[in-house]
Amino acid sequence: MKSCISCGMPMTRPEQFAMGDVSKDYCVHCARPDGSMQSYEEKLLSMAAFIVKTQGFDEQAAAASAKEMMARLPAWKGRASHET
Amino acid sequence: MIAESTRTKRKNRTRHILMKAAFDRFARDGLAAARTSDIAASAGVSHGAVFVHFPSREDLLEAVVDELGTRVARRIHELSQTGASVKELLEAHVQGLAEFEPLYARLVMEESVLTPRAQSGVVMIQSAISEHLSHAVARESAAGTIRKMPFHLLFNTWIGLLHYYIAHAASFAAPGQSVLERHGPALVKHFWGLIKE
Ligand SMILES: [Zn+2]
Repeated sequence: MKSCISCGMPMTRPEQFAMGDVSKDYCVHCARPDGSMQSYEEKLLSMAAFIVKTQGFDEQAAAASAKEMMARLPAWKGRASHET
Repeated sequence: MIAESTRTKRKNRTRHILMKAAFDRFARDGLAAARTSDIAASAGVSHGAVFVHFPSREDLLEAVVDELGTRVARRIHELSQTGASVKELLEAHVQGLAEFEPLYARLVMEESVLTPRAQSGVVMIQSAISEHLSHAVARESAAGTIRKMPFHLLFNTWIGLLHYYIAHAASFAAPGQSVLERHGPALVKHFWGLIKE
């Protein structure tokens, strides 16, 4: 099963891939309107916002969790989690 | 070249066996209490071999939580069909967790011993289910079939209920019995009754 290199979401159906294109390595949530992949900063903001909205986290705690999660994903591996 | 790839293969296999042993030991003995020497013994390798693959015990535990997070997220994703209802997703969540209950229960009970990296693995599991659930809730809330409420409160009420049963399995289930298998269907039914319009 393919997983999004940017956020880790499993991708099994075409509509989950960026632009519905199953050859892409990133998902629909990690794509910009033009189909290119969001930057680290963009993804960090949207992932933290998602955690705040769905799990009720404090904003700073959500940002810290998002950084740790992203640090293990292929698109962002090697980037130290204290960098922004 | 051939010797190189054989060595790599053997190394990967040892890592795999170690991960499997660590899964079992952390689940059985606890995240804080499980000993790397016992993990090595279960895997049938020397104690030193553990640290060839994982520089420290923390690294091993992080790898285990990471693997659990990935597996649970995938399982929930597989069980969550496109257009699944809120009730079906709650059932999928219970089933997905039940398959990994012993180790997941340790994460619930011992989250404070985890490093920030490992803790984010727990958040990743919650994000996997909330991703599916938030869409279904938005849909059904708009259709008027479930009550309107902030999503994070709906979600945390559900997680709180599940985790209470998981963390107190000794009170709610017979020894060795899965608390989610025993009480999962009743918890889904009860929670559904609270949120439906
Ligand atoms: Zn993604």
